[in-house]
Amino acid sequence: MEIAEQIESTVRDVGARVRPQLDDAKRRLTSLNGNVTGYIKANPGRCLLGAIAVGFLVGKIARRV
Amino acid sequence: MKRMVVMETSEQNPSNGHRTDASWVNDSAHKAWARTRGAVSELKRAAAIEERVNRNPYGTVAAALGIGYVLGGGIFTSLTSRIVALGLRIGIRLAVLPMLKDEISVLADALGGEGGEGSEGSKGRRGGKAAKPSGER
Repeated sequence: MEIAEQIESTVRDVGARVRPQLDDAKRRLTSLNGNVTGYIKANPGRCLLGAIAVGFLVGKIARRV
Repeated sequence: MKRMVVMETSEQNPSNGHRTDASWVNDSAHKAWARTRGAVSELKRAAAIEERVNRNPYGTVAAALGIGYVLGGGIFTSLTSRIVALGLRIGIRLAVLPMLKDEISVLADALGGEGGEGSEGSKGRRGGKAAKPSGER
């Protein structure tokens, strides 16, 4: 019984400690996603040309390997 | 080649009327640039690139990456075969696992019913299942 209570309290502590970090990571990821999407929408030509160039290079490298 | 010679002579003697050639080159370069920009904007309009980007930015960038990869000659490579094999494996797992799960749950239900209902019910079920294939044949 005591062991179960200890485990429960440990899990609660870990959850309380990890939850803010998880929330922070979630917020950061959401913000990053918004920034990236906004940049792509603001500069579509540049992004698409860059993506084509990157794909071209990857294709060239894959062909050589 | 001929144009280069003309340019050299105009540099050596700028007052002999060849200066117009330089301005002509400048004008034609401007025209070519304007035409290129017009063609690019026309292409953008035709492909509705901005709409696509607004609708699905990541997908459009991924498509551009794929186009570049194909242009770079990466189609018939071992990397492509690996990627395709991985995609197929994941797709098959995603498609087959739910089917297997359903089949197993149906089988488990049937077995459970068989044990709970008794011998008469189970016989009827078995008969029903066996009758289907024979009827189809």
